Amino acid sequence: MKTLVIGLGNPILGDDGVGWKVAEEVEKRLAGGGWQMADGNTPSAISHQLSATSHQPSAIEVDCLSLGGLSLMERLTGYERVILVDSMFTGKKPIGSVITFALDSLPDLTAGHSASAHDTSLRNALNVGRSMNLPLPTDDQVQVVAIEAQNVYDFSQELTPAVAAALPQAVDAVLDLLRTTV
Amino acid sequence: MQRITIDPITRLEGHGKIEIFLDDAGNVANTYFQIPELRGFERFCVGRPVEELPLLTNRICGVCPEAHHMAAAKATDAVYHVEVPRTGKMLRELLYSAFYVTDHTTHFYALAGPDFVMGPDAPVAERNILGVIHKVGLEIGGKVIQCRKYGHTVVEMIGGRKVHPCTSIPGGLTKGITEEQRKEIEEMGKWAIDFALFSLKLFNDIVLGNKAYVDLILGDVYTHQTYYMGTVDEKNHVNFYDGKVRVVDPDGKELVKYAPKDYAENIAEHVEPWTYLKFPYLKKVGWKGFVDGKDSGVYCATPLSRLNAADGMATPRAQEEYEKFYKTLGGKPVHQRLATHWARLIELLYAAERWVELATDPEITSSNYHAIPTEKPTEGVGIVEAPRGTLTHHYWTDERGVVTKVNLIVGTTNNYAPISMSINKAARNLIKQGTVVTEPLLNMVEMAFRIYDPCFGCATHSLPGQMPLEVTIRNAAGEPIKVLKQFVD
Repeated sequence: MKTLVIGLGNPILGDDGVGWKVAEEVEKRLAGGGWQMADGNTPSAISHQLSATSHQPSAIEVDCLSLGGLSLMERLTGYERVILVDSMFTGKKPIGSVITFALDSLPDLTAGHSASAHDTSLRNALNVGRSMNLPLPTDDQVQVVAIEAQNVYDFSQELTPAVAAALPQAVDAVLDLLRTTV
Repeated sequence: MQRITIDPITRLEGHGKIEIFLDDAGNVANTYFQIPELRGFERFCVGRPVEELPLLTNRICGVCPEAHHMAAAKATDAVYHVEVPRTGKMLRELLYSAFYVTDHTTHFYALAGPDFVMGPDAPVAERNILGVIHKVGLEIGGKVIQCRKYGHTVVEMIGGRKVHPCTSIPGGLTKGITEEQRKEIEEMGKWAIDFALFSLKLFNDIVLGNKAYVDLILGDVYTHQTYYMGTVDEKNHVNFYDGKVRVVDPDGKELVKYAPKDYAENIAEHVEPWTYLKFPYLKKVGWKGFVDGKDSGVYCATPLSRLNAADGMATPRAQEEYEKFYKTLGGKPVHQRLATHWARLIELLYAAERWVELATDPEITSSNYHAIPTEKPTEGVGIVEAPRGTLTHHYWTDERGVVTKVNLIVGTTNNYAPISMSINKAARNLIKQGTVVTEPLLNMVEMAFRIYDPCFGCATHSLPGQMPLEVTIRNAAGEPIKVLKQFVD
């Protein structure tokens, strides 16, 4: 199953960069060998944003992006399964909480209005892509690993301690998902 | 009406928050629109080599990284007092034109389109890009996706990376393009011109062909008489990448035309107690509050402003559309802010034509795309037109080129006062004597700020990822009587 893991966020905006850090660690763990996917295959190639122009036909690819909406949908084209790792800012969960859910378990809050002033929601963008017959994963095959953030408004390359402490748990959450077939 | 003070605690972050205060009669007394601001970028940059800034600043905003990359590149050229060779300038402008095509296309089809194609009164569930595709035809969606793909491809070819380019350095670029790439870019550009013409025809058929929409555009609700800003070339034609910043008054007469380095002599910033973001205004005119007119220093920097501030477009087909625009709307300048969506499509056509012009210049494949800086770095200003307004970057360095200070005026900030005024006017026109607020009304207020394509993108990066626009309506005692949200959570 062609799978893509994406760390989402802004790497210089404090805890918003946590998705990148998790993805980078996942990439290292996958490259470290001795790791098998649920279907028994060993991941063969890893791509990163800088080299993403020449995608190898691999079992699992890892990428780090600062995209959303239509641009993110365009990047998901050609994959059967996608795991997104992103910061979450609900203000309701303890800082550093890690939760996993499928995209289709979220209500599409922005079906009617714009998600941002410039774009649409990922779910809506995926629907647009599907109506164009683009090969896109189904919503239940787009899974999200989210980490509750503390600082997403101050520029910094550092994570706050509680978020940094959640890194191993988030990495394991991604690897657990990769081991499981949905 | 009681005096209203907004406690700092209500300065919501991560929200586009609108507060509407009513008077005793149930009419709008005042409105406040709060835009969240990201903090500490200046501090983050100090101590870094200035040539890193074109890479760092394109992470300020998730929506227009290319614009920040270009403004930063031009500021670093100025810091090192180096003149970029012609091919270098053309390559940057070519990248920038392709970016503009992508950005304006997305805005029209994903954001403005739903307002017009579906209509402000359409059911919520249909008022999005998917609704547009279903109404106008599936092939539209395919064209939008194709157009974005071509734009991203050109950015990657010249900029080295999609979305976040990395090839601009002081004095030019790190690489050029081959003849093979040039041909590909030219073909994609020709396609983009056809697409832009198609988009203008669509606007013509659906919007201009519908009296209700034309009345809406020409109506008073979305009309403001302010100053207009935009970058122009030596012939006073619109230019996105280079030139002087021209400001015209509400009658269309030039107030000033300044070189980027002189921005601080022309723009000042007003502070209000209820928001962290500052309100830029024209120094020569002065801050007179959130009011229209020649005596008020409020200015606007948008696609409509750029057309108003210029004498024309530099490419033939965009010029034809420019002339039609002013003829249809009753002369220049156009003050009806909803016409900004039309202006954006004219700019889309200009960007596509410019794309092909640059791709067919005999020098575009030359290897003379970089000049090595030889002078000691000091300070420099770089200005480009971001899709959503004039973007100014100003850097100071020590003699080693290490950043000591940074000042930015971003596209949306220019328009903070006009956006606030448009929301206020829309609310005043749509809420009268305690009229029950309905869904279309909420959308009409939203339409008021969507005109300006404001940059909330950067502040809405974390999950759940949507912009939770919230409108609170309060009575004369300041008590909330109704809260409207952009979505039901």
